[in-house]
Amino acid sequence: MAILEVEHIEKHFGEIKVLNDISFSMEQGQALAIIGSSGSGKTTLLRCLNFLETPDRGKIIVGGETLFDADVQVAEKERDIRKKRLHFGMVFQSFNLFPQYTALQNVMLAGQLLAKERPDFKEKKKVIYEEIEERARMLLDDMGLLDRAGHYPHQLSGGQQQRVAIARALALKPDILCFDEPTSALDPELTGEVLRVIRGLADQKITMVIVTHEMAFARDVADQVIFMDDGVILEQGEARQVIENPRHERTKQFLSRYSEK
Amino acid sequence: MRKRTLSAALAAITALTMMTSATVWAEDSAESDLAYVQDKGTLVVGITDFEPMDYKDEDGEWIGFDADLAKAFGEKLGVEVEFIEIDWDNKILELDAKSIDCVWNGMTLTDEVTSSMECSNAYCNNAQVVVVKADAAEEYQTVESIADLSFAVEAGSAGEAEIEALGYDYTPVTAQSDALMEVAAGTSDAAVIDSLMAAAMVGEGTGYEDLTYTVSLNSEEYGVGFRKGSDLAEELNTFFVESYEDGTMQEIAETYGVQAALIEQN
Amino acid sequence: MSTIMEQMPIVVGALNVGFLQTLKLFFVTLIGALPLGLVIAFGSMTRFLPVRWLSRTLVWVIRGTPLMIQLLIIYYFPGLVLGNSIWGGGESGRFFAASVSFILNYACYFSEIYRGGIQSVPKGQQEAGLVLGMTKPQIFFKVTLLQMIKRIVPPISNEIITLVKDTSLARIIALQEIIWAGQAFLKGSQGISGAIWPLFFTAFYYLVFSGILTLLFGWLERKLDYFK
Repeated sequence: MAILEVEHIEKHFGEIKVLNDISFSMEQGQALAIIGSSGSGKTTLLRCLNFLETPDRGKIIVGGETLFDADVQVAEKERDIRKKRLHFGMVFQSFNLFPQYTALQNVMLAGQLLAKERPDFKEKKKVIYEEIEERARMLLDDMGLLDRAGHYPHQLSGGQQQRVAIARALALKPDILCFDEPTSALDPELTGEVLRVIRGLADQKITMVIVTHEMAFARDVADQVIFMDDGVILEQGEARQVIENPRHERTKQFLSRYSEK
Repeated sequence: MRKRTLSAALAAITALTMMTSATVWAEDSAESDLAYVQDKGTLVVGITDFEPMDYKDEDGEWIGFDADLAKAFGEKLGVEVEFIEIDWDNKILELDAKSIDCVWNGMTLTDEVTSSMECSNAYCNNAQVVVVKADAAEEYQTVESIADLSFAVEAGSAGEAEIEALGYDYTPVTAQSDALMEVAAGTSDAAVIDSLMAAAMVGEGTGYEDLTYTVSLNSEEYGVGFRKGSDLAEELNTFFVESYEDGTMQEIAETYGVQAALIEQN
Repeated sequence: MSTIMEQMPIVVGALNVGFLQTLKLFFVTLIGALPLGLVIAFGSMTRFLPVRWLSRTLVWVIRGTPLMIQLLIIYYFPGLVLGNSIWGGGESGRFFAASVSFILNYACYFSEIYRGGIQSVPKGQQEAGLVLGMTKPQIFFKVTLLQMIKRIVPPISNEIITLVKDTSLARIIALQEIIWAGQAFLKGSQGISGAIWPLFFTAFYYLVFSGILTLLFGWLERKLDYFK
């Protein structure tokens, strides 16, 4: 069964149609790369999945559970939206780490706040917090940053910050991890370390949706690639096939600009 | 500059008040102020620190010719007397806003005062005198001789009224004491203040040893001010007559050395 | 004439009493205005139009008129219009009215500083909190607040040091703060009259107090320097 099904998503900003009839699905353990030029709607699509934007039409289904259906628009309680968000993790282009917390605290914060809602929180506070910290340290270790656990974001390089952000997104064990151009804000020499980490996650069969401009990376790491243009999906298929032998003229044009570089 | 801001503020609040409360006032004055004061059990007396009329003794108790007389009046009415220091500029505002019930502080009965307050009969004589530097005093012994001086006077005071009537050049300041400071600092040539105050504040043994006072511009009288239309003024007049007849008023006046200025009450 | 050395204990005693009143007004204003400012700041940013309109009008009126007029209106107006002063003529009534005026005035100034501070925290911070399943209050208190505080410490400290000196305006409704106490010796009080130096001496109190505050805010700024 598909872990994620997106059906006929549509999104307007005023008069402008940013997303038009977007549908795709992906299996558990797959990596999906979304490519396309700036303004093609990739980021908006990712924001819809994370409920940072509300689609005007369409459905979002995760693991068979309909999380969103524009036809059954009910005024949702903040609490319910929060729960749904937790199916997704999000890594932002500009990291968005919390500057006043250390790397470790950044990874632990959301888990600690969620733990307070557990009925057994009061009796088991100490144990719960120990578990959260243990997991956070393990994640930082996976990112190769255990020795930076006590550093504040401004003391870390961009690549290190982005790896902390990935650990933070993984801390709540989302079903699907989303990346919004995770290396676009980095100096070229720092992109490698972040891409290596994402590649490692793909090897661990973590389900991922990655918006990226790194074509070679998309080809090697993703199972599927979607090419978006002007708010619609123009082409989608197996990664190597879309990137090396695109069928659509627009895709060819777009990719040729990258191979020239 | 500050003075101008204040005047603007007062003008604004007065205008605002007149617009919104003209009718309310009309009703108010119909009620008995005496009953209002007796009902709440306190007579709130607005004063400033002004020796020998109202000032504090070592224990912080308000004493003075005005203060003691006010206490005696309160006793007659059967109410407590509470003394509140006010900003002299705001005395009419304080009365109308009912934050005080009367102004009893060596207040000169000028046209402005009698038209905006219900005033008692005069009980004490006073004069407006000209204060100059002591070493120049001999030149300024007549009203004509002071014509070319620059004056500092308290805004809204009897002194301002006198100097304005003479058509002499002056700067209004916030208090009589500020007027003295102007002369001491040399920013004005002369000040016009109450003779009772001049006697206490300038010359030998005071804070302004190199100042003295010369010409008296007028003679004037002190009275007590109540809210416009208040029946307390008449009540106080009766009390003045009684206490003058039985000698209490003279006794208190002697305590503070103002017996010579006292006005007969009948 | 008594010498300054002889007058000193009397004057310092009276100035201390006045300064205590100044301090009381200062702290009461802070305790009231700091949180009230936050409420008004949220009011000015809410999507609920009537509240936003109301908050912004309040801020406009209060910031657009002198504190001196606000003091006069708040203290005298109820008595003039309602026919009975709600504050009373005593010292506590005057203090209470002054506190209300100062809290309202400073809350409006603080609210604009807060608003600027909140809006200067990047939107990405809030979004990062949202996607991690935090509630709006959690995001405000755990993420935005400290970043906002770091940004507003310099303008707020500026405003607070202005407040120290603004308290002297309360003398317009005869609240006997330190300037009043100093001026009393000029007008004549406790056997000292025509003395100008007590009034100038009050400056020393203000200077010492704002010096202490400056050190305190400097310390706070350094405390918040651990993140950027």
